[in-house]
Amino acid sequence: MILNSISSIAKKEILDNVRNKWIIVLTIIFASLALVVSYFGSIFSQGWQNFGATISGMMSLVQFLIPIIGLMLGYAAIIGEIEKGSMSSLLSLPVNRLEIILGKFFGLGSILSFTTLIGFGVAGIVIAANVVDVNYTDYLVFIGATILLGLVFLSLSLFFSSLFKKRSTAMGGAILLWFLFNMILPLVFVGIMIASSGIENIISSGGFPDWYHALELFNPLSVYSALISLTVGPVSTMQGAFSMSYPSFYSSGLMASILILWIVSFLLLAFWRFDRRDV
Amino acid sequence: MTGKTVKCPKCKSEITLTGNPGEKTQIICPKCSSKGTFTFPQENSESKTTTDSFTIEVSNLTKKYNNFKAVDDVSFNVKSGEIFGFLGPNGAGKTTTIKSILGLIHANSGEIKINGFDIKKRGKEAKKYIGYLPEKVAFYDNLTALQNLHFYAEMKNVSKEECEPLIEEFGLIDSINKKVGNFSKGMTQRLGMARAVLGNPPILILDEPTGGLDPRGVVLIREKIREVRDKGTTIFVSSHILSEIQEICGRVGIINNGMLVAKDTVSELSEKMSIKPKITVELEKISDKVTEAVKKVDGVDKVEIIGRSIEVVCDSKTRGKVILAIATAGGNIINLYTKEPSLEEVFMRFTEGKK
Repeated sequence: MILNSISSIAKKEILDNVRNKWIIVLTIIFASLALVVSYFGSIFSQGWQNFGATISGMMSLVQFLIPIIGLMLGYAAIIGEIEKGSMSSLLSLPVNRLEIILGKFFGLGSILSFTTLIGFGVAGIVIAANVVDVNYTDYLVFIGATILLGLVFLSLSLFFSSLFKKRSTAMGGAILLWFLFNMILPLVFVGIMIASSGIENIISSGGFPDWYHALELFNPLSVYSALISLTVGPVSTMQGAFSMSYPSFYSSGLMASILILWIVSFLLLAFWRFDRRDV
Repeated sequence: MTGKTVKCPKCKSEITLTGNPGEKTQIICPKCSSKGTFTFPQENSESKTTTDSFTIEVSNLTKKYNNFKAVDDVSFNVKSGEIFGFLGPNGAGKTTTIKSILGLIHANSGEIKINGFDIKKRGKEAKKYIGYLPEKVAFYDNLTALQNLHFYAEMKNVSKEECEPLIEEFGLIDSINKKVGNFSKGMTQRLGMARAVLGNPPILILDEPTGGLDPRGVVLIREKIREVRDKGTTIFVSSHILSEIQEICGRVGIINNGMLVAKDTVSELSEKMSIKPKITVELEKISDKVTEAVKKVDGVDKVEIIGRSIEVVCDSKTRGKVILAIATAGGNIINLYTKEPSLEEVFMRFTEGKK
């Protein structure tokens, strides 16, 4: 019975959002950019090296686009239905609020995974055609990690959607969140590091201090790139400037767990806010 | 598991069903293949603490928004099988009360039970019995009418096959595969009513059911309300227009400024407050003969002459007799107006009466 309600809501979300124009546009943009990146990544050199370059190019694409898709899917999921009025009818059915949050998470999560798979699937075909030495397992791990990152942002936006009183505020919050993790946090962290250690020391020591890496664990985008580096292999564009050696406490397991922790805790927070809310 | 023998209302053949108490099953008669649903009776389960005579019990409900009391210590019971009218001007607290009953709003204090289930503690069970038409009817705009109802059928654990006939019943069969986002307000409202009665819930909660409807739609909704009442459904219906629901309701509660100011049967209430419609008949010429004739009609409360018009206060059933009396007394009717008592008037009278 519980699973029934969750899967019914998830199915409804999929049906409803498949026709969402924004998601269609974003999917097309994502797929075409992935195609462009994979084309340029694999055209210049050959073999495993250029696969690394491809992944690295795709990673910067992912860090910009996947959060947007996750946030776009989720920010209106709760508040949108409340503002529109359909939440009243939904809540009058024999269903509890946790089932609604979970149903929405799984439904929107499926759309997000589907979007990611389309984008990378198209790119994958191009890579397979041009690159001799593709590691498909690594590619799958890369896709999986990317979906995990998308779910973090979906979970965050669901929380915002149950927290804010207006759809427009929730959207503002989502945009702010995107800037926070993409621009503000990295700037602040690097700023702190340079202010405290001095730029010469950092260059001469050949790596970032451990506490900087610890700080970066609070940014899911950094956690994601660390996860890729630790599983798929060192990401080549970064190797130019610094040899990215992570501290010993960094492990792929830790990175994956942190991303999952983000997802679970913000889902719980979303439920907590939604459960106390008047509709 | 319990066994029950039911009789098909059409061909009178008997079928034996087994199921758990409270479970709802679809029945298709093996002989005449007419469809129906059957709910197994509840057996003294521990959560069922009240007698069967009340289906909705609201006690001492209070809801505050900051310092404003939207609902202030409201208590009432709705008996099983009755139509309970919930009246009040806009902003009186009707919707807040209804939303509290359904657990959409968290009340500050008070207790609400539906079929004996506390809405706060056993909300999911309590809501199994309810069909709800919200004040602001909304659907999922990207889905078609049928897709929308299919979703609600799944959630209510009702067969999806009920959806299409229901859409037809509400006159929307031509738009069954159209996106609800393109529906007019009236169509949405009708689909909303279809959603409320989906699965034949034993309790219907209707918040301003005729809001936004054209006259044909109003008639359709009223017919539906009578139809489900005849099936034994308990109906809780709110409105800010007295005349709209006084014909169908057994008992009414009147709410004003968050407080329940009256709770009575319709006839007792209108007697207490002498809320009767007024008809004004404009004549070519007023004669004593006409005035006398009107005064003699049974059920006329008050007759007043203003210029060439006679103002008569009487209940709506007497109206025809009044007009007939005027005509037979030789009065030449030029024009005719009726004025329904407004709820605001009722409140004025009620509060005056209290002082």
